[in-house]
Amino acid sequence: MVTADDASPGAWQLFRLWAGIGFQSFGGGASTQFLIQEQFTARHAWLTPEELLHYLSLCTLTPGINLIALTILIGRKLAGVPGIIASLAGLLLPSAGITCLLAALVTRFEDQPAVPAALRGVVPATAGAMFLVGVNYMRPLTRTARRDGPVALLASALIIAASALSIIVVHIPVVVVVLAAIVLGVVLFPARPLAEEERREGVGKP
Amino acid sequence: MIDPFHYFLIFLKASLFSTGGLSNLPSLHQDLLAAGWAEDAEFGRSIVIGQLSPGPNGLWVISLGYLTYGFAGAILALIAITIPAFLVLFVAAGYARIARARWVGGAMRGVALAVVGILLSVVWTIMRQPGVDRWGVLIAVIAFGLAATKRVRLPLILALAGCAGLFLYR
Repeated sequence: MVTADDASPGAWQLFRLWAGIGFQSFGGGASTQFLIQEQFTARHAWLTPEELLHYLSLCTLTPGINLIALTILIGRKLAGVPGIIASLAGLLLPSAGITCLLAALVTRFEDQPAVPAALRGVVPATAGAMFLVGVNYMRPLTRTARRDGPVALLASALIIAASALSIIVVHIPVVVVVLAAIVLGVVLFPARPLAEEERREGVGKP
Repeated sequence: MIDPFHYFLIFLKASLFSTGGLSNLPSLHQDLLAAGWAEDAEFGRSIVIGQLSPGPNGLWVISLGYLTYGFAGAILALIAITIPAFLVLFVAAGYARIARARWVGGAMRGVALAVVGILLSVVWTIMRQPGVDRWGVLIAVIAFGLAATKRVRLPLILALAGCAGLFLYR
């Protein structure tokens, strides 16, 4: 659903939007990823999925928590330095506050059987949300790969599968996986960028 | 007695050399236990809270800060995990400088594909946790389906999943 206010948001609007994410993203990073994608690419057309994926790629190349770095990049793109401050405050103040509250409560309610039971239901649901985030990010990648032909499509699928499996099965550090993907990308997609061409394509979209 | 400055440096060092999630755990565990400022049980609790509470999973260190050093600890932890994230501005500036080089397009395409692979590996990691059984798989599939329709908001989906957990596991 795209609303009419898609002229760039001000810092105050950004703060409220990120605060919404900070209050609602129970279930950790998976839920946060989901709400960021939903707010900035679907509800508001402020970023294309390609741009968001590009930002997330830059964040993966940065040490520290990716989602905080992503918040900084989105805030800067939409409202400059005030946007960075508004976005960080919006995301972190509510979520850090709730984290403290839960930390204070957990020592008191640890023995209640209801708490772990509810948690056992919530945890797999966040996995479902995370899978949807992955599928949504896959779309621009497959579109470009289709344009480049079946070999590129196969190569793309192989890089995705190899990255996932090398973390799951062999427990290779994420940094190494990303470096390997850079080398594979340079070799397999010479002079075939993703973001730029797709972004131009995305201009006419609703 | 906790020395606030040293305490902050332990958290800052851990987050500078981490790549998000729990990758700062070993460093924090080693340093805080060596200083005698944390216990093993506080780590376990913090990780559970980080997974449940809103915001990135990396906020588990805020819970660790709170449990070991109260509000001061939480605030110091929050500052320590926020500072390294600003390095992304240097990464973005570096990228802008080389963006036109021939090989960069392919390289970023490789990274983007790896990012999707990493996201999918997170799905696997979540599903492999103790306590996720066949019902858990069903809950994950239903949550995916509901979210994909874009008609049901995520907090409602998570609340329903929590109720399902109460019904199934209590």
